[in-house]
Amino acid sequence: MAPRISALTLTVVTLLGGAPLVAADDASLGKDLKATIALQGMPCDQLVESKRNGDSDYTASCKDGNRYHIYVNAQGRVIVQKL
Amino acid sequence: MHRLGIAGFLVILSVSGCASTKGTSTSEGPRVAQAAVPPDSTPQPIPPPASTPPSKAESSTDNGSDQSSTPAKTPDAAPPPPTSPAARPSPAKGKSAGDSRLAKQTGAAAAQTRPPVSSPALPAPLPASPSSPAPAPTSTPAASPTLNLADLEQRLRETRAIGVFTKLSLKNQVDDLLNAFRDLYRGPNKHPPAELRQRYDLLLLKVLTLLQDGDPPLAAAISSSREAIWSILADPDKFAKI
Repeated sequence: MAPRISALTLTVVTLLGGAPLVAADDASLGKDLKATIALQGMPCDQLVESKRNGDSDYTASCKDGNRYHIYVNAQGRVIVQKL
Repeated sequence: MHRLGIAGFLVILSVSGCASTKGTSTSEGPRVAQAAVPPDSTPQPIPPPASTPPSKAESSTDNGSDQSSTPAKTPDAAPPPPTSPAARPSPAKGKSAGDSRLAKQTGAAAAQTRPPVSSPALPAPLPASPSSPAPAPTSTPAASPTLNLADLEQRLRETRAIGVFTKLSLKNQVDDLLNAFRDLYRGPNKHPPAELRQRYDLLLLKVLTLLQDGDPPLAAAISSSREAIWSILADPDKFAKI
């Protein structure tokens, strides 16, 4: 039982310790997507959700209900498409 | 027992030696303190008349006595007599006064030995005065912000204040603006319209907004280079060299 408990404790600690890194990564990504939307002149007061569709391809949902498809096209341009 | 005795003897000897040196040093202190107070009260018992007039001169006007003493000493130190001695006598005044007070107590022999000591003290501070006024007016660096487009571009690429998508979006908009200038300079009119200036200002405003919180130094550098960059864009010859 003791090894099981220690392994479980280690797993929990590892997950909890890595959680802030993931959260920080998400925060920086959300900030990046929100700035990208704003640079294209489209409204988004607060980003509440972002879903990764593929490489350089995201779907972002804003608090005001707007949803955007943000991706890089074949010519290397950032496209923000309102859904 | 012998060792203890020797050690005790050494300790007593060292303590007594230190006590004797301290006694001399402390005895000098009270002498100075006493010399400061009693000279006015005990001028009569001192037999030599030469010492009493200086004491009266010091008690009445210290400056007059010092000035009268310094000219008598300056002939010895005549080689370096620039215009500054008027400001310098103040530090020498205390020394000369203290020396004269010590001379009163010790006697005429000591008074004869003191003046040569004070006279070399005067030329020592004199050389320090000419070196002071020189370096003030030399520092006039007009630091104009020099434009380094390559450095700014590299700093924009490396900054962490902007995400990848945002950087790519900015690059797209910069490329769009540069293409607009290229189209303009292909035609007959080489003067950029106000619309391009507005686009340029708006793009720079976006960049500054993105950078001002995450990378203030880079934002400041770009902001200070605003007109320099525009001067390059608005000049067809300079623009062709980009």
